Amino acid sequence: MMRFSGVCSAIVLIVVSGLAQAEQAGWALFDKVQHAVKQYNFDTSFVVLKGGKVDTYRWLHGRTENQEIEHLIPLDTSGVDILRRDAIVYYLLADRPAFVTQSHSIPELPALFFESKQEISKLYNAVAGSSSLMSGRSAQLLRLTAKNAGRYNYWLWLDDESGFPLRIDTLSDQQNALERWLVTHMQINPEMPDSLRALMEAELPAATSVTNKALANNNQKLTWLPEGYTEVAEPASIPQLEKSLLSYWLLSDGLHQVSVFVQNPQHLPTQAYRDGATTIYVQTANQLEVTVIGPVSIDTARQLAAAVR
Amino acid sequence: MSSENQDWLSAASDNKALTKVQLDSLLGDAQLQQKLQRYHLIGSAMRSEVSSALPANFADNFMAQLADEPVYQLQSDRNLMQRIKAYVAVAANGSWLQPVAQGGIAAAVALIAVFGVQQYQQGEEYLTPQPLLQTQPIAGFATPVSLSQTTVTDRFAAQEQQAMLEQQKRLQAMLNAHRQQLRVMEQTQQAKQSATPHNGSEQNEQ
Repeated sequence: MMRFSGVCSAIVLIVVSGLAQAEQAGWALFDKVQHAVKQYNFDTSFVVLKGGKVDTYRWLHGRTENQEIEHLIPLDTSGVDILRRDAIVYYLLADRPAFVTQSHSIPELPALFFESKQEISKLYNAVAGSSSLMSGRSAQLLRLTAKNAGRYNYWLWLDDESGFPLRIDTLSDQQNALERWLVTHMQINPEMPDSLRALMEAELPAATSVTNKALANNNQKLTWLPEGYTEVAEPASIPQLEKSLLSYWLLSDGLHQVSVFVQNPQHLPTQAYRDGATTIYVQTANQLEVTVIGPVSIDTARQLAAAVR
Repeated sequence: MSSENQDWLSAASDNKALTKVQLDSLLGDAQLQQKLQRYHLIGSAMRSEVSSALPANFADNFMAQLADEPVYQLQSDRNLMQRIKAYVAVAANGSWLQPVAQGGIAAAVALIAVFGVQQYQQGEEYLTPQPLLQTQPIAGFATPVSLSQTTVTDRFAAQEQQAMLEQQKRLQAMLNAHRQQLRVMEQTQQAKQSATPHNGSEQNEQ
């Protein structure tokens, strides 16, 4: 009897340690991806597939010992250039003055690459998957599975050799692909490309002082938050909606952000839209029109909308 | 002697070579020279060659004839175009026209390129409008267009379409506002944290 329980506990121990090891291997792969994206000099192109819609980008990154530069060029919308030098992001527009913000990453790139592992490991389990061939390269699958329902899952393929990400699929609870981020061309160089070197030296407009004008006092209350989310205190004002906006909340779980708008009703039925992984949910109730926008499931959006009092 | 002379003179008239002694005697004796001329004439006549030799003084005759000729006054009545042509023809060989002509061609090409590209860009803008929210077709219930049948339901449909367009616009504005918030989020967070350093850590604990 003693021997049997001993064997059982040994098996349990082996299984548990095996799982823990798989988890560790997963996070090691995750580190590899973040390292590749932050440390290499590269010139890549990628596409974002959102249902029938495709957005194409070129993404360049350069690094010297103490400086970092990143250049993102949306190829579908003309006249916009996004440039990051260390902690300042410039939106260079052709017909308007540049828009400058302070950020350590370009928000238009997948946040997975830049958020800290501590934050993400609170929300996700990382499990290394099988190897496959992708664009003629050996790719390793890394599955990020949400710890609680309602949050999207990520499947990330990375280049075996360099650790550079090749593809990210965003999957719903039911494992339906909502959005696909796919590298179509990749070149990693030992030296920083000349074009970036020139941009590093280029004179750019100064960062504007933070216009932290708080929004008008919220007239309503948000009585429920999805698990892991917190309210972002004092979100920036939205001048273009100021007239019609009754309340606004910005929620964040460290990786995803959700906006909740409350406006006067426009006699519209309750409906939901999807822009890739971003859900847009509109609900009219109690003489209020609530719009929830963010990478959450429609169920979560509905609960959020219902929580506005 | 004379017959001897005649022999070699006759041979000379038939293009035979002369010896040095014979040449000396020929040059010294005018009678012999006349004889040679006669032999040549006889030879020509026998070969029935028409004598076409010019007289020694033909130039004098020609001058005399020219003197009798009336004088013609030539008028330079070329028109302007011809004069420009002639001028350009001269200038084309000169050194200054070539660079000027090259510059002119380059300027023309540049003008065409500038106007051509502008027009091309305008066309492209028209072809690719800013993508709106493409989550649902605007007119999923579209009916064939007919001018004669504007029924109540058609008008209702048009109104509904207008309302949907209006709504899409509003949703797009909110989506843009959401994206704008993401862009400035870290900035506002930083500003807030620097203002009240405790607040941020509390938030993480929640």
